Amino acid sequence: MARNWMDYKTDAWVQWCPACGNFGILTALQRALAELDLPNEKVSIVSGIGCSSRIPYYIKTSNVHTLHGRPIPVAQGIKLANPDQVVIVASGDGDLLGIGAGHFVAIGRRNIDIKVILHDNAVYGLTKGQAAPTLPLWFKTKALGQPNIQSAVNPLLLAFASGYTFIARAYAYHIDQLKEMIEAAIRHKGTSLIDVLQPCPTYNDIMTKEWYEKRIYYLDKEDPSWNPNIEKPEDVKKIPKIVEKMMEWEPRIPLGVFYRNTMVEPLDVRIEKIMPGYLQNPPARRSIDIGGRALTNPFVAFKDRIVTT
Amino acid sequence: MSENVDLDVMIGGPQGGGIESSGQMALRVFMIKGYDVFGIREYHSDIIGAHSYYNVRVKAQKPRSVRLPVDALLALDAETIFTHYNDLAPESYLIYGTESLNTRIDGIAPMDHDTKERVKEDLKQKGVEPVASEVVKYLASTGVKTVGLPFKDLLKVTAERLKTTVVSVSKTVNTMSITALAAMLGIDLGAVEKSIQLYFAGRKGIVDSNVEAARTTYEYIKDNYGVSKPLPDGPHRNKVRMIATGNDIVAMAKIVGGVTLETYYPITPSQDEAFYMETHRVFDLDEEASRSLGQSKTGTLVLQAEDELAALNMAIGGALAGARVATTTSGPGLSLMNEAISFAVITETPVVISVWMRTGPSTGIATRQGQQDLLHAMFAGHGEALPKIVLASGDHLEAYYDTIKALNWAEKFQVPVIHLLDKYMAASMMSFDMEDVDPYKVPLERGKLVPNPDPKTYKRYELTDDGISPRAPLGTVQYIVSSLEHNEYGVVTEDPVIREKMSLKRLKKMETIEREIPESEKAVLYGDPDSRITIVSWGSTKGPILDAMGSLAKEGLRLRFLQIKTFLPFPTSTVKKIIESSDDVIAVENNAFGQMVMAVRMFTGLNINKRIAKLNSRSLMEQEIYNGVKKALSMKEGLVVVSDGA
Repeated sequence: MARNWMDYKTDAWVQWCPACGNFGILTALQRALAELDLPNEKVSIVSGIGCSSRIPYYIKTSNVHTLHGRPIPVAQGIKLANPDQVVIVASGDGDLLGIGAGHFVAIGRRNIDIKVILHDNAVYGLTKGQAAPTLPLWFKTKALGQPNIQSAVNPLLLAFASGYTFIARAYAYHIDQLKEMIEAAIRHKGTSLIDVLQPCPTYNDIMTKEWYEKRIYYLDKEDPSWNPNIEKPEDVKKIPKIVEKMMEWEPRIPLGVFYRNTMVEPLDVRIEKIMPGYLQNPPARRSIDIGGRALTNPFVAFKDRIVTT
Repeated sequence: MSENVDLDVMIGGPQGGGIESSGQMALRVFMIKGYDVFGIREYHSDIIGAHSYYNVRVKAQKPRSVRLPVDALLALDAETIFTHYNDLAPESYLIYGTESLNTRIDGIAPMDHDTKERVKEDLKQKGVEPVASEVVKYLASTGVKTVGLPFKDLLKVTAERLKTTVVSVSKTVNTMSITALAAMLGIDLGAVEKSIQLYFAGRKGIVDSNVEAARTTYEYIKDNYGVSKPLPDGPHRNKVRMIATGNDIVAMAKIVGGVTLETYYPITPSQDEAFYMETHRVFDLDEEASRSLGQSKTGTLVLQAEDELAALNMAIGGALAGARVATTTSGPGLSLMNEAISFAVITETPVVISVWMRTGPSTGIATRQGQQDLLHAMFAGHGEALPKIVLASGDHLEAYYDTIKALNWAEKFQVPVIHLLDKYMAASMMSFDMEDVDPYKVPLERGKLVPNPDPKTYKRYELTDDGISPRAPLGTVQYIVSSLEHNEYGVVTEDPVIREKMSLKRLKKMETIEREIPESEKAVLYGDPDSRITIVSWGSTKGPILDAMGSLAKEGLRLRFLQIKTFLPFPTSTVKKIIESSDDVIAVENNAFGQMVMAVRMFTGLNINKRIAKLNSRSLMEQEIYNGVKKALSMKEGLVVVSDGA
């Protein structure tokens, strides 16, 4: 029997402010999991610290609420140990692009099959409204004591430069489109980013629902021939256009799947090449002993250190 | 009689200039001759050019340390002569290349300015010009037998005999030096040839030219210096043995001990451990395992992370999914891991962190020895990051078994285990036999790991009598893991009653650890148990202490030595009993502030008022303990700083 999105709900009280963009992401994620009919225990949602990082308590899957900035490493540990687990990172812009930015870059080099959902509201909500790394230069949201004198990082370009093979941007209030993108990301085998633009009705009084809705448009609606797929060597010709679209911001903000590259080997395939048997007996499942007895002896396994006297 | 053999040989030269292969070959020559060896490598934080040296101790049975003065110095360059001329025993050998004789100390660019000035001042006092040839003459006048090797001539003869060019045999100078050393020490050419074959196994051209170089040199020594008294065969001939560094042996123990995922970020002196695991990521199973599993090989995944934050957090993720995990680092990396250690504590995640200590604070001297991370390890992690285990090994073989125990304890008690090791062990090599690294001696235990829990009743953080809950791998049953305070299901809570219960659960778990780890694993007493003079120490000082105790006992000074092995849990009753039944207690540590002494005071309320400390970042040696103990015993209280080593 197919699962329905209610099967992924927990009975926890959701602590977000009314109209928070996180609600849309939560609903879209639950619906995407139901659509893909994924067993609850076979999915891990891994978050960092911040408002959005409470999401593990609201989705009934095998989740981990980690430290500030560290969901990506923890998620990779889970995936390396058990490649069959569906692993999703859901965390904020401060967590992923500020304190955890090194990991945001490094995961792309691996093309490990993890989906990163970036809750992008340009402010730190839980600490009362400081500027996040995606807040544009000179914006002075209401809690700030002074205008923002640091420029915004472009998450899509950073992901592209780092080697992510699936890059999309969504809008938190468009739940159907977001759900589709999450499903597409889960189906893609490789490191994926969905940058989800979301108003913060409490602290971001500039980038509001009205602000976004004046600017956003969908790549495939605007241009029905839009095709983000890199499937064969000649498709690299599409890249300048893709990058151009990633850079577009004012006056209009494009949404949709920007880039999907299926020509790059994911990490588990690379590991299998240097360590045959990895996929069949990954670290979480391979036997380490036989009734407490070790599987090998140094004089059997490490012959390079033997000296015959 | 081989039992009386106690040789200490030093080989020095520029880093990247064959010092590594010379040292390795020398170790093998002595092993082939039937001896046990213990060798330490001292090196600069540099890839090529700076002075580096091996100090190798040779005995019939298990040397545990090196000493000064040495019985032979093999100087592959002039800097070695200037650095170590004070380290030679009377009647010892200095072997050098004749072309380095004209070198003046000021012409040696890589040599430290301060070192040069100090050496020049010392030579001035001795009335010796700072030129290599003058230092050699001076040494000869003190009774050192100096052996100059004319490499150009020797290479020419070797090339002629092989009917090839001098250039093509030029890389054999290291072998020539080792051969000269062997010849002077009375080792037969056969042992040298066998060592060449072993070291360059499979590369026939290289073997042939090195064997010819060895023969040429051997003849040269015989013709010019006569035949030395033969070194008797040691007791370990015709055996299949091993030689490994501390880094190697911990890597071996991790693989044998069932680690399926190791993460790391490169840092000296830990990186060779991870390197060795990478090389052996796919390994052969023993016969019984092959039969039982129906496969001949299996694997351990090793991943280089982007930093130590990622290394430990990845390991934690792997452990949550059910893998047996470990990571490896040094002091600076442990600093970055602190927050994740606290995360492992609250999520009750088993992980072993091997910490290879080096000279601090800060970047300090990255390639040198220190024991300065003891309190750092004990107090690692914010917000009362307890329970955890802090374990320190005293030597290679202990480190092997301790690694397997650490992996067991991590899983049994569901805690992070910090395994303290150091540069002394990382970069030292020792010979050992199959029975010394018995893989079946410590059975592998995984504690309350439940592979198939009942989803209806499962509580990851269930409150139990021993504070330890059933651990199901993530993915087998739906539950949540949280870095925040949580209830029995792992769900976040700020409820004061549950918070208190969870605090008490962690406290109870520490009590379980204290109870279940036997006292004999926490502290070990060596020497004369009835002596009222006690050395208290921890970690790699063990070898020099035990070797010095042997020498002191021969003079009638019988000591006992209490080695503290676990600092969490702390062997409070043993330490108290031993200190209270001693007239003299001397602490030995490679740190300035007496970190172990502070820990002893914290847990027992007792002070240790005599300390021996080595602070110059070089490896502790036997004679320093021998001299330091005598000095400490002559004082009422205070600090003895021992300062040997270049």
